[in-house]
Amino acid sequence: MSHRFFERICSLLPAAALLTLSAQVPAAGQQPAPKAGQPAANAPARFTVPRTAWGDPDLQGVYTFATLTPFQRPAAQAGKDVLSEEEQKALEEQLKKKQEENIATNEHFSYNALWFASDEGRPTGRTSIIIDPEDGRLPPMTEQAQKLRAEMQAKTAAKRIGKDQLVDTWEDISLYNRCVSRPMPRVTQEYNQGVQILQTPGFVTIFYESMHDVRSIPLDGRPHLDSSMRLWNGDSRGHWEGDTLVVDWTNFSDRQKSDGSAPFGGLPQGNMHVTERFRKANANTLDYIVTVEDPTVWTRPFTFYLPWRGDDPTYLGPDDLFEYACHEGNYRMMENSITAAQAVRAKAEKK
Amino acid sequence: MQEPCRLSTAVRIVLAVMVIVTWCAADGFGQVQAGYKAPRLAGTQHPDLNGIWQALNSANYDIEPHAAAPSPFPALMGTIGAQPAGQGVVEGGRIPYQPWALAKKKENFEKRLARPTTHELNETTGDPEAKCYLPGIPRATYIGLPFQIIETGSQILISYEFASATRMVYMDRKPEAPANSWMGWSIGSWDGDTLVIDVTAQNDKTWFDRAGNFHSDAVHVVERYTPVSPYHLMYEATIEDPKVFTLPWKIRMPLYRRIEANIQPLEFKCVEFSEEFIYGSLVNKRGQ
Repeated sequence: MSHRFFERICSLLPAAALLTLSAQVPAAGQQPAPKAGQPAANAPARFTVPRTAWGDPDLQGVYTFATLTPFQRPAAQAGKDVLSEEEQKALEEQLKKKQEENIATNEHFSYNALWFASDEGRPTGRTSIIIDPEDGRLPPMTEQAQKLRAEMQAKTAAKRIGKDQLVDTWEDISLYNRCVSRPMPRVTQEYNQGVQILQTPGFVTIFYESMHDVRSIPLDGRPHLDSSMRLWNGDSRGHWEGDTLVVDWTNFSDRQKSDGSAPFGGLPQGNMHVTERFRKANANTLDYIVTVEDPTVWTRPFTFYLPWRGDDPTYLGPDDLFEYACHEGNYRMMENSITAAQAVRAKAEKK
Repeated sequence: MQEPCRLSTAVRIVLAVMVIVTWCAADGFGQVQAGYKAPRLAGTQHPDLNGIWQALNSANYDIEPHAAAPSPFPALMGTIGAQPAGQGVVEGGRIPYQPWALAKKKENFEKRLARPTTHELNETTGDPEAKCYLPGIPRATYIGLPFQIIETGSQILISYEFASATRMVYMDRKPEAPANSWMGWSIGSWDGDTLVIDVTAQNDKTWFDRAGNFHSDAVHVVERYTPVSPYHLMYEATIEDPKVFTLPWKIRMPLYRRIEANIQPLEFKCVEFSEEFIYGSLVNKRGQ
């Protein structure tokens, strides 16, 4: 992806409604031209971003990044990057119905509706959260990453007897379920997508409800931490480009392996370099545009766009972000998982 | 003439410091507070407490007076992990326990590192710090790692390195706690330049220190953070818990600003450090 392309996306996004964006992003020829009557012509006037008392653009607020839009474009929508209003409405209803069905039919094996009550996620209007590559899908993995992934899958498969995935120790459980950490950047989550931005002179702080993670992002231009220092949540450095907060994010840990909770392939993140852009699109929306580069995993960088919404009834104020104690309640899960594995192994040995 | 002048300035500074120290020792920190006016947070009338702070004492070992003591595993660790001596941070020296509670505190200490071989034991025994459980208030303040105060015009977030614990302090309104939690529910207000935080709705699972000092879910903590110099906050917390103590009591300690030019919050995500301690017996017990 060229630098110019990214700059163009970013300069366009805040200025126009989301649907407008797709009409203006270079479409590499194969995509259908935007239909007449799409709201490109009625783009709202540019939003004047408020300032903090010390003059920085004010991005503060409580948001949710819940959405019904899939991270990657489904095969059924190949070649189509935006949805019409009717299609969007239909998709919204279809996905909500599916979610309700899941909850209704899974009472013993899934979380109940309480967990999902907060997720009034709306589709973004696009067919995928990924906006580059243009097919809305993750780029191909490198050979090295494919090999590593196959090894990891084989290791998991070796711990399976029949239908049972065995948990011999806590290390056989994902980092996320162990409550060690949840991969960054946060994109798709089933629940607790609440996030708050706070600003103080010299810092922007992002507080994620899930895993009670805080990123304190210095704005003073200091260099990144020594490359030997690897953090679960990486090391962030921010600066302002006009009204946009640009964050350079590195020093991730190789031990951070995203699992099903993040769509980044479940591979070590040590070489990942992320550039985030935050900008207020209007009073209730913070545009979040993220480019991920990791030449050990992906054959090219990719970019995703996910509006954070400030008007979700479940995440209106800071007291809607409740304590995410997680590890504190894991004893029973570990006990049940480990003793179940022991029982399955004992049964298999008898046979 | 340069040298003598400089020397005399230095001597004057030393004398001034000595006077201040003597004054504090004699009259308490309230006197220093009267002479110091913290800078205001831009756009507000309130002192700017933003920064990274840390307690520098041995209160996390024992908030009461204590002599030095060996580590729990001297054969494995030698001097490393040994307990430093400290005069304690409890006003008046001793915590006013009810008799049953004093016995319970002693039991807590004796079993502080007992392996939690069952769920029930895990719920009732052992130092929550060893398990990387959220530390509660006030222990989070002096557990030994830095924490950041993020003060905006309308709200304060305190972010602790230990276990990446956080607490939101509501300044502009007083929402009600929806449930008990590990870090409790914090409602803040200003008493002059002192930040006062009223903490309720904590559960009964957190401790005050490694010595087994504890509370119930009726605990009510009122914290006071007073800027006494550009680099120091005086921290006080009044603790009330009629189920465990005979009277309210108070702790008090300075907090120090971390002034390194490159200071930033780092991670102490200790869950993985705790797992073998918590779950190891499940594997070893039955999974030979």
